[in-house]
Amino acid sequence: MSALSVVAPPDLSTLRSLLAGAATPVHFLAGGTDLLIAGCPLPDTGLLVDLSRMDGMAHIATEGADIRIRAATTVVMLADHCGLRARFPALSEAAAQCGSVQIRNRATIGGNIANASPGADLLPVLLAAGARLCLLEPGGEWNVVAILDFAPAPGRLIVEVILPNAGILPRSAFVKLGVRQDLTISRLSLALLAELQDGRFGVVRLAAGAIGPKPRRLPHAESALEGRRLEPGTLRDFLSSLVVEVDNAIAGRASQLYKRRAIAGLGLDLIARISGMNPRHELFEEALA
Amino acid sequence: MVIFWANTELARNARASLRLSAGGTGSDGDVGEGAISLNVNGDSRECAAPPTMRLSAALRDILNLTSVKEGCCEGECGACTILLDGKPVNSCLVMVFQARGSEIITVEGLLPETGLNSLQQAFLDEGAVQCGYCTPGMVMAAEGLLRINPNPDEVDIRHALAGNICRCTGFETIVRAVSVEAAARREMEAGR
Repeated sequence: MSALSVVAPPDLSTLRSLLAGAATPVHFLAGGTDLLIAGCPLPDTGLLVDLSRMDGMAHIATEGADIRIRAATTVVMLADHCGLRARFPALSEAAAQCGSVQIRNRATIGGNIANASPGADLLPVLLAAGARLCLLEPGGEWNVVAILDFAPAPGRLIVEVILPNAGILPRSAFVKLGVRQDLTISRLSLALLAELQDGRFGVVRLAAGAIGPKPRRLPHAESALEGRRLEPGTLRDFLSSLVVEVDNAIAGRASQLYKRRAIAGLGLDLIARISGMNPRHELFEEALA
Repeated sequence: MVIFWANTELARNARASLRLSAGGTGSDGDVGEGAISLNVNGDSRECAAPPTMRLSAALRDILNLTSVKEGCCEGECGACTILLDGKPVNSCLVMVFQARGSEIITVEGLLPETGLNSLQQAFLDEGAVQCGYCTPGMVMAAEGLLRINPNPDEVDIRHALAGNICRCTGFETIVRAVSVEAAARREMEAGR
């Protein structure tokens, strides 16, 4: 017999009890913004679990050493949270550029990770920060994995996203390129986390979205900045390395040609954002000359 | 696709959990057999819908709230926008069982005893309605904005309405209508 049951557990302990007795496939639902897309069939057997109303599953804690974000935290909560914006602006900026008001009010950080779209806005930021995911496995055991090692699977629940203190650098920013300003799927996105003091870069972490099936760190471009002064020569090397990164990621794809040009604009926008400089500053003109 | 409750231990657990999840009230009853209790425009309504039905379809086709339009069913057009617990959402992307215990407001819930509310009237006065298909969604998105930002500038309004598509009026008049209504509400508030 084919049947889909739905359930909305009030808290995590109830959910764990339910899952312990679940012999059928378990599917998780939070905001529904990716599950209910027209043309995508819903699962027709098993247990559909709504996470959107569970106590304690939508919470942001920025006071401790690590930032901890519960998986059903909505994107609008990420965008509006003052503590998060102060400590890790890149994530707030990525959230604020995600979808529309209506989408941001429902979509969740856990859903953005589990859906694993190549253009997902939050993922480059989380990757650059070295995020870890606290998982409840189908067998009921807990597990913590690096975000890059996460593989969605039926019954595997993301409970919390942990942004380790060591991964949250003092300056950060996120930029994306789409076909329009709002409600647009990223054609290219970049997240930059950096130390920048007295005009010199320290540690730099850079990640890109929508250049391949998964977001990826850009090690060549990071090396082009690390330990160097913010000056035209450094930026020229940075731009050259960004082009290499695009070539490495999507060689032969139709989008390669425009993305190897477009990434330069995004890269300089990022530098302007984290340095507090005007994007039209002569430094950037010189870098492009 | 036919969706129904399997008569299993699991389904009984699920029903029990649904009852538990009703904000501790326990008054919403069993939703498994099709009657889902919804708080719509201030009234408690029984909605005989499968739990995974789109909320937009349940509101429009079962509860006859025809202001709710299903356009794209993927969160792009915004024609189905409602306020869920005061926030604009695409009702096409919410399953009806997820809305239990939440406050749902559609355009019908904004109406005074007679006539139109002031936001709707502003749309008419500014020529922001042509075919009218997008208008309820625009009104609800605008209402959601004005509830959290009584003094929006043009950028705020355009940002708030970015999830709503109009193919007739070109948006200028819609943005103007929201701006006019915001000013009127501020004046009314100042006069109190």
